[in-house]
Parts: sequence; C-alpha cells; structure tokens
Amino acid sequence: MTGRARARSRGRARGQETIAPGASQAREPTPAPVPPTEGELVGRGRQKGTPGPFSAEAVLQISAGFQQVKLGDRGGRRRDFHDAGINTRQAMEHVKDSKTGSSGDVVPLTANFFRILSRPQWVLYQYHVDYKPQMESRRLRSALLFHHEETLGSARSFDGALLFLPHRLQGKETVLHSETKHGEKVQITITLTNELPPSSPVCIQFYNIIFRRILRILNMQQIGRNYYNPNDPLNIPQHRLTIWPGYTTTILQYESAIMLSTDVSHKVLRSETVLDFMINLRQQCGGQRFPDACSKELIGLIVLTKYNNKTYRIDEIAWDHTPKNTFKKGDSDISFKNYYKSQYNLNISDDNQPLLVSHVKRMGPAGAPPPGPAMLIPELCYLTGLTDKMRADFKIMKDLDHHTKLLPDQREDRLTRFVSNIQRNADAQAELDKWGLNFDKMLLKLSGRILPRERIAQGSRSYEYSQAQADWSKEMRGLPLISSPPLNNWYMFYTSRNSNEAQMLLQNINKVSAPLGIRTQRPVMIEYEDYQESLLRLLQQNVGPETQMLKHLMIVGIDCYHDISAGKRSIGALVASLNNSMSRWYSKCVLQHKGQEIMDGLKMALTGALKDYLKFNNCLPSRIIVYRDGVGDGQLHSVVNYEVSQILESIKSMGHDYVPKLSVVVVKKRISTRFFAHFNGKATNPPPGTVVDTEVTRPEWYDFYIVSQAVRQGSVSPTHYNVVYDTSGLKPDHMQRLTYKLCHMYYNWQGIIRVPAPCQYAHKMAFLVGQSIHKEPHSKLEDLLYYL
Amino acid sequence: MEPIFTPALHKQRHQFVIDFVKRNRPRKVVDLGCGECSLLKKLKFHREVEVLVGVDIDGAKLKKCMHGLAPIPTDYLQPTYDQLHIELYQGSVTQNDPRLRGFHLVTSIELIEHLTLPDVERFSEVVFGYMIPAEVIISTPNSEYNPLLPGLRGFRHSDHKFEWTRAEFQSWAVKVSSEYGYEVEFTGVGEAPPGQQERVGYCSQIAVFHRLRGRDGCNILFADDAEDLLSYTLLYTVNYPSLHDNNILRRVLVSEVIYWTEKLKRRWREVRTEERDESIVWCQTAAEGDECFRSSECGAEINRLMEHCGRYMAENQEEEVFGTKGQGKQESCRLQRCVSIPLAVLWTSCPKVSALSGNLSNLRHLLTTDPEVKLSQDGSSLLVDLQEQDLEEEGDHDLEDSGYTEVSQCSYSAAQEEDWEPNV
Repeated sequence: MTGRARARSRGRARGQETIAPGASQAREPTPAPVPPTEGELVGRGRQKGTPGPFSAEAVLQISAGFQQVKLGDRGGRRRDFHDAGINTRQAMEHVKDSKTGSSGDVVPLTANFFRILSRPQWVLYQYHVDYKPQMESRRLRSALLFHHEETLGSARSFDGALLFLPHRLQGKETVLHSETKHGEKVQITITLTNELPPSSPVCIQFYNIIFRRILRILNMQQIGRNYYNPNDPLNIPQHRLTIWPGYTTTILQYESAIMLSTDVSHKVLRSETVLDFMINLRQQCGGQRFPDACSKELIGLIVLTKYNNKTYRIDEIAWDHTPKNTFKKGDSDISFKNYYKSQYNLNISDDNQPLLVSHVKRMGPAGAPPPGPAMLIPELCYLTGLTDKMRADFKIMKDLDHHTKLLPDQREDRLTRFVSNIQRNADAQAELDKWGLNFDKMLLKLSGRILPRERIAQGSRSYEYSQAQADWSKEMRGLPLISSPPLNNWYMFYTSRNSNEAQMLLQNINKVSAPLGIRTQRPVMIEYEDYQESLLRLLQQNVGPETQMLKHLMIVGIDCYHDISAGKRSIGALVASLNNSMSRWYSKCVLQHKGQEIMDGLKMALTGALKDYLKFNNCLPSRIIVYRDGVGDGQLHSVVNYEVSQILESIKSMGHDYVPKLSVVVVKKRISTRFFAHFNGKATNPPPGTVVDTEVTRPEWYDFYIVSQAVRQGSVSPTHYNVVYDTSGLKPDHMQRLTYKLCHMYYNWQGIIRVPAPCQYAHKMAFLVGQSIHKEPHSKLEDLLYYL
Repeated sequence: MEPIFTPALHKQRHQFVIDFVKRNRPRKVVDLGCGECSLLKKLKFHREVEVLVGVDIDGAKLKKCMHGLAPIPTDYLQPTYDQLHIELYQGSVTQNDPRLRGFHLVTSIELIEHLTLPDVERFSEVVFGYMIPAEVIISTPNSEYNPLLPGLRGFRHSDHKFEWTRAEFQSWAVKVSSEYGYEVEFTGVGEAPPGQQERVGYCSQIAVFHRLRGRDGCNILFADDAEDLLSYTLLYTVNYPSLHDNNILRRVLVSEVIYWTEKLKRRWREVRTEERDESIVWCQTAAEGDECFRSSECGAEINRLMEHCGRYMAENQEEEVFGTKGQGKQESCRLQRCVSIPLAVLWTSCPKVSALSGNLSNLRHLLTTDPEVKLSQDGSSLLVDLQEQDLEEEGDHDLEDSGYTEVSQCSYSAAQEEDWEPNV
C-alpha cells in the first residue's frame, strides 16, 4: 500500500494539494511529488522528509511534518495556505548563516505580529489510538474514546486516529474498554508516539485550530478563511453593500519565534440576493444582452447561501434550469423548490429563475467519488465581494475606501484592541488556559533598514528625489531623456466634440517635448464621429537609473492573469530585459487552459527571450534574475518543484556549456504583513525603501520584505520577496538593493512602484491580453512596450 | 445492524417532530436530551418557533456542538421580523428548573430508555407536573421490533436501562396522562416489513400528549417561580437578528431610505444634465419637474417615485455669500443646495420603506434619531445634500501616469560606481 492509500484507509486526509500556478484547480505536476509519507511512530517529530529537488535529506522538522500530519479540523482535505514544508533556504549555501542585508539606516518598527507565550516546558503529547475490533466510522471512534473523559481530561483533540493531549497519561500504553450501541465490546489502546515541542509543525497547526475556536467563542462568523464580526456592520446603502470588519489570523513559526500574525480585513457583502441583482441587471441592460452581461458579472463570484455556512463560487449559469427541475435524493426525485421547502422551510417565489452552478472541488468522503456540481438557487444566495464592474466604478471604490482604508494608527489600534478583547473574554481565556497558551499584548517590535535613495539618471545628468514622496515627476522636467525616438509620423484621432481639447493637447505636447529632447512633427489630424475612443499613447519617455553594476544581466518578470469568464483560462506573461540599461524589453504571452502548467508555455518564451538577447548583445546573459509574480497562497511548492527546473531546462537548451547564474524570486503583493514606523508617538507608514529581513521572515526561506511605494491614504502594504533558487552568489544586501532599484525602473511612472518593473510589465501585458485581446499577440510586437 | 430504513430512522424521528411543528406552530420548543443538537439545527429553520431550548446532561457534547446553532452570515444580511432565541442548558431531566416552564412543546426523542425506572417517574413529574407544556412528544424503542433487527442481542444500546413493548409504553403514557390531565395518542416511525406491522408495530414508538385544559393556555401563572433553584447551567444563548430589534430595524430602514434617495438624486442629476445640455433651466417652478421625470425611461418603480417627488421636491438653492460680515465663517462663497423629500412620499412610494416602518410617524421617529439622515426642522421631510462630492475628485495616483505641473531642476553628478560582482 502506498503511503497515501494507507493514510486514506486510516480515515485521515493527508497530503498537500498541488495547485498548478495559474490554474486554480489541483493537479499534480510532473515530476510527481514524492507521496507524503506516513507519520511514522517515531519520537520527537523527526519524520522522513519529502525531498523535492532542492531539499537535502535532512529536512527541517518544521517543514516536513506538515505534509504528513494534519489534524482534522473540519475533516476536509484542505490546502496548505501557508506554503509550509517548502524549505528552499538550505540549498543556498551563501544564505545558510545569514540572509540579512546591511546597507541603509536602521529604523525601529512594529509589525502586526503577536508572540505566543506558552507556559514553560509546554509539550503536546501525541498518541496513536487503536480499536479492536476495527471501527470504521470516525464519529463512532470519537464517541467511544470520549466515554473516558475522566482519563483523558477535557482538553483533547482527536481526528480519528491521532489523539493530542496537553498532559501525559500514566503509562506509555493505556488500554480502555468501551461498548458500542449494539453492545459490542471494543478495546481501545492509546499509545504514546510522540512528544511535540511547541515549535513542531503539528503544534503550530494546533495553535491555529485553537485560535479559530477562540474566534468562534467571540461570536465571529467564518467566511472563507477569515473571521468577521456581523454585529457591527458598516453599511453603504447607496450601493447596497455591507462591510463586516474582521481579521485574518495565522500562527506560524517565524524567524525567531512562533507568532500570531493578524491583520484587519473587511468582507464586502451584498444586502441583496443574486436574484435581486439579476432583476436589477435585466432592467439596466434589457432582455437581449442580459444573459451575456449576467454571466460576465456573476461568474467567478463567491456566494453565501441562506441555509448553510458554506461559500460557493459561481462557475456557470444554467439558463435551462429552474427551481422546478428535479434531482435525485435517495431513491426518489425531488424538485429544488420542494427540497428547500421541506429541508429548510425556505420558499422560492420565482419559479423561472435560472440556477447557478458551482463545481465543488472538495472531495467526497474518503474513497468516494467527488460530488457533482452544486446547483444553487439565485433567490437563496447572497453575493460577496465586488464585481469587476464595481471595481471600475470610481464612486463605489471611493465610498468603500472611506470605510476600509485605515490609517496606520487606526490599524494599530484595532489590532491591539482585538488581542485585548480576547484576553478580556472569560470563555476565550478559559479555552486558552486549558491548553496553557497565552498571547503577547503588544505588537512585535523589530527593526528594519531604510535603503539609501537611488539616483535617477536621465540623459546626461542624474538627480535624487524626495524619499517620502517616492516620485520624481518634478525632478525630471526639462531634462533630455536617455533615448527618445522622434515622433515623425503619427495620427491624432478625436471626435468633433473634442476638437478643442485635441488642439490643446497638441500644443502641450509640443511645449513639453522640446525640453525632453523629443522631436515631434505635426500629426495627421483625423476627426471622427464615434463614441468609441481609441487611445494613443504618444509620449515616449525613457526614465530610469542605470543599473550598471552588473554586466550582462537579464531580468525576467512573470505574472499571470485569470480570465474567469472565458472558461477559466489563465494568461501567463513573461517580460525580459534585453539591454544593460533596462530600456528594451522582450515580451511574450501565453494562454493556457484548465489544468495546464503555466511554465509549459513560458519555457518557450524564455528561450525566445534568450535568443533575442543574443541578437541584441551578441552574447547570452551571464546572469538571469527571474521575478515570479502571481503565485497564490499554497502554490509556492509547485514553483519550487516544477517551474525552476523548467527554467533550468530552457537555459540548457541554449547550449550545454551555457551556465548563467540564476536567481528565482517569488514576489507576493497580497500579504497581510504590515509594518508601522513611529513618529512623534504616532504610528505612521514606514518610508519607501524600508527593508525587513528579520523576525517576521520564515526560517526556512531566503526572504525579505520591502516597502517600496508611498501611499497617500491608508496603510502601506509591503511586498514579500522569496528567493527560492539562487546560484548568483549575490549577497542578500545586494539582492535587496537590486530589487529595490528595479522598483524604480517602471517606464510609465516617474516614481517607485510596488514591484520590480518587469513584474509590472508582465502584469500589464497579461491584463491587456486577458481583458481585451484574448489571444496571443503578434510576434512582431515582441520587443515593444505596447501593452503599458 | 439495523435494517436500512430510508430515510434513516433517526431522520424519520426528527422529521416527525418537524412535521408536527409545521402543523401546530408552537412558539416555544424545548428538546430534552438534545445531544448533538441535530434536531435543534433542523428546527431553527422553522421560524414559527421563536424560542428554542436544548437540555442535555452532557455539557461537553453541547459545548462542542453549540456553535453550529449560531446564525449564519446570511441571517444578518436581510433580517426579517421572525425572531429566534436559542438557549442550551446542561442539566438533568429529573430536576426542576423554572426557566423551562411555560413551553408549547417539549420533545424527548429516544431519551427515557436511558433513565432508570425511578428516574422515569421523576421525569414524568418534571415534564408533566412542573413544566406543564401544552404538548409533549416522547419516542422510545419498541422492543417488539427487536427480533427483526438482525444481529441484535439484548438492548439496542448498551446504555439503555429498558426497552418497552407497545403495551408497556402505552400503559405508562396513559397513566401519566390521567394523572396530569393530558390526552395521548400513539404512533411511530420505522414501519415493519409488509404484513408484520400489525404484529410488531413501529421500530420507534411515539406518544404525543396534549394538555386537556386548552392548548393555548400557556398563561398558567407560575407563582412559585421565585422559590425554585436554577438547577440547570446555561451554556449557550444566542439571539437571531430580527427586525423586532429596534437597532436592526433602524439600520435596515435607514439603509433602504438612503438607497432610494441616492437613486433619486442620481436620476434627478441625470435629468438635470440632459436639460442643461439643451439649455433649459429646469426647476424654476417645481411643477415642471413632473413632466421631465415622466419622459425619462427608467425602472417603473423609480419612475413612479420620481413622479411623486417631482411634485414635491423643492430645491432650496441658496447662495450664501459671507464676505467681511464676520460670524466666524471663513468660507467666502458657498453654494449650498438641498433637496427635500417629504417623508409621506417616501412612505407611499417605496413599499419596503412602508413595510419596515409601519406608519408615517414611526418612520419619522426612527429617522430622527439616526445620525446618517437629516430631516427638516418640522420633521416632515428628508433633506438630501446635493453638493457634488465628485468635485474634489482626486484620482488615486498610484501607478497612474501623471501630467506635468511645474518644472524644477536639480541635477547631481553621476552615482559613484559600486561593484557587486563577487570576485570570480
């Protein structure tokens, strides 16, 4: 029996789901990962590892354990959203001892982390529970075991096979006797298999489970992965929106300690049902366009139902179904309408509404085939989150921001209050005490560094900029650009309504182009009568600091865009620099379908980029740095195990003796980590250039945070960089600074952006293709920045 | 193993209770021996029930399952007038607790067979003599059916203290009924195989008791309440969001009012801009408004509302010029424009608003205390600020291309060289 099969037969869901990047469904990548091994009956949490291509045999305990032992929290097979168990740092010799940089001024910061203070010598005891005769039902196993509360105590956790207790039972083996409902005698043997220290992965997972219980005790509602407080909603009635304030929480082993990372989160809910929404939409766009518009708006959205606490994603709309359709329940057929009436006493008033289809990803009970798609009744569903149309609506977003964008001091205040609320709640405290756990009351204090300001080289001169603003639009005026192709032959399209504006624009272009060194000719003016606007980007600017410190360097940015409406297609974009001054870029977009690995196509793209580089420079780059964006939670492991080897292969295809230095950096924007600087006793955003590479990073990774951009409202969100593969030998300090420099290089903005420029290019391109073009762009455009 | 009943026998027992609840609409229901609360979880959907209480001796089990009874997110999104209050107690059915008196329905599903016979005696006293509910449903295994259960030796569960035949159960039930003034009927779930029903009866036998002295008579006075000890421990209590809660009602109502006024405002502004383009000055007289609204094509509902409002809407366009007059106001010139919408119009034209508030004075009362809406001084109409907020539109400049504002120069010498290449 394989490890996986054995795990299943023991009624436990094991194994980390592998999520193909780009594709949102699980699929095992090739080469197939080593099947998760069993939690063997060995001591001290040292289990056999699951070595990927980069992990040595001696796998860190922290990493290995997660894949093997999962406590049954809700019994389901769950994705590991924390990307634990991926240990990339140890393969990189040069960061084994230290991954911290050195340049810049040290600045004291706080972060949204709370330390866990468990009582000294806290140990979790892991027991294996055996039944004689074998009991199949997990429920029955629990019931039989829990008859013995006097032996086990009230603090316990049992998933059907593994029992965890915070205290030690008398002997190594305890034999208990129970009896089933039918009078069958059952002998239960509880064997001590493990003593888990507080930092072991099982314990950490355990903390998370306990913490979720605490949130439930605080009467918070779980939606998706986070918990929200329904009793104090913020209403935006003009858009029929309700916002629930809540928190994201994760407990993990960070660099030096186990900490609770928590951030304020807001859930946007609609106070109308999907049916209301449909009726409204129909009124707005009329019957003919309605089905299309409806699919476009609804597919991909998450709904809540009136009758259970689950969330569903709308994958399709079944226009040919109504609530009067029937389905098989047991042996007989029952209509949806009758089912909801009898089961939940819910009346469906509109018999002609179409149904929503959600492909349920969750597997059936162990061994059983996965259930078919769920059919949902619009009238019984509520929308959550925002549609694309709403995101594009300036008014809605402004009203939302008003409620959800928190200034750093407000955010800090809310987080502190959250933790003190837990401590004040008697029930919550009792639950924590039962397990001997406690949380720090204060936000974690740590120090970061502010990297020095970069010099911007433009034409023959260079200048500095104001760091607080992170923008040099003022400074760049009137300086000639590095290179500026003349604008000789161009057209200007405008409607007759806007002819005045067109003339004005032309005058202005003429005024500003001269000092910038752009020669412009008079355009061919074309007036047109149409509401369709064709936008022409005219100004060719070229700004950026020259990164001359590394010769023959190629920077690659990869991002993807998920086109939900077009049958869950994903678009991967790859952008690579072609010259040393980072002003020419090669780009390639690939469309990939459900279940396809994004790198299958991008491998070709990378080869193309290398060939182009060779053409431009008459040599291949000696260093390649890949910034990979668009990696979701829980997908890291497929980047590490699969994509990196694809990149290596693609490099190898250029010649056997070609061995450039390669770094692969995973870039993550959507993270819940926040940093606060303190100025005059008030929490503020840390200035652009702040780097954090201690305390809140992960011990098993070579990772760091950079705050590169400045925000005008709300709290700044740092970007997380995780170097998963690195043969460049660059010091961490240099890696950090290079990354920061690249954030200055974006062509279309004279300031610092959130991610390195190639990531932003790749993002723009994937977005353009995904939103508008829907097919692979022509290869002639490959070295032009047409997609900005 | 029990033969497979479809649906499963325990589900049939629960369905029996649910059907009973649907027919008899009791408002206060208590489930004795609620265990994993599975019956309560089903009953909570039947919103004719307003108070739902569960009692079980196993507090740990209740604690584990109680969060499943909490409202789900959608219960908060569109609250109705239905009320539901849920309480869970840890306690023994052989003890009195005044909090369990005056219920309409008491259910005790597969409970009594877990009690010793003296305890069953006490149980009858507690339920029929002390709690005195209008109706009681009691189910217990029918031992006559046991031979049909394959592989069964002894009782169906090791914890059972007895399993009664139909005659035993019925004689107990009849005795209890006559003692405490109830009438009883017998039925059951889990039919025997064809032809044997007569001989063995249902797998689970059920007795339904009705109190004789009027079934809506929950108004018996329990005078001795004060002396009773609270012998049960309250483990969990939750109130479902309901419009009977004044705060929730106000929140929903204000949301609805703001939604409609915003919609009106937007529509009104659209009409205005259209008019402006045709260089017609609208709203010189309020009566004119009537026509231009009618011509607009939008949803029927709003059209009707606009018609109404057009007649009443009065634009108070005041140009206040504060020069050197003082009064502490520094604004040199402020354009203040308000539209007032009479509450009566709102009340008659928006069905949801009228349904929520019930009557006009209630609507006024609810709105006056809310900080989010502004009423006119006499409280008869709603003031809507027409100030164009989007005048101060400042785009989020994050990553947007910016224009040119002013030119300033500062240049420095080129950055000093730094060599990052490690020595190869």
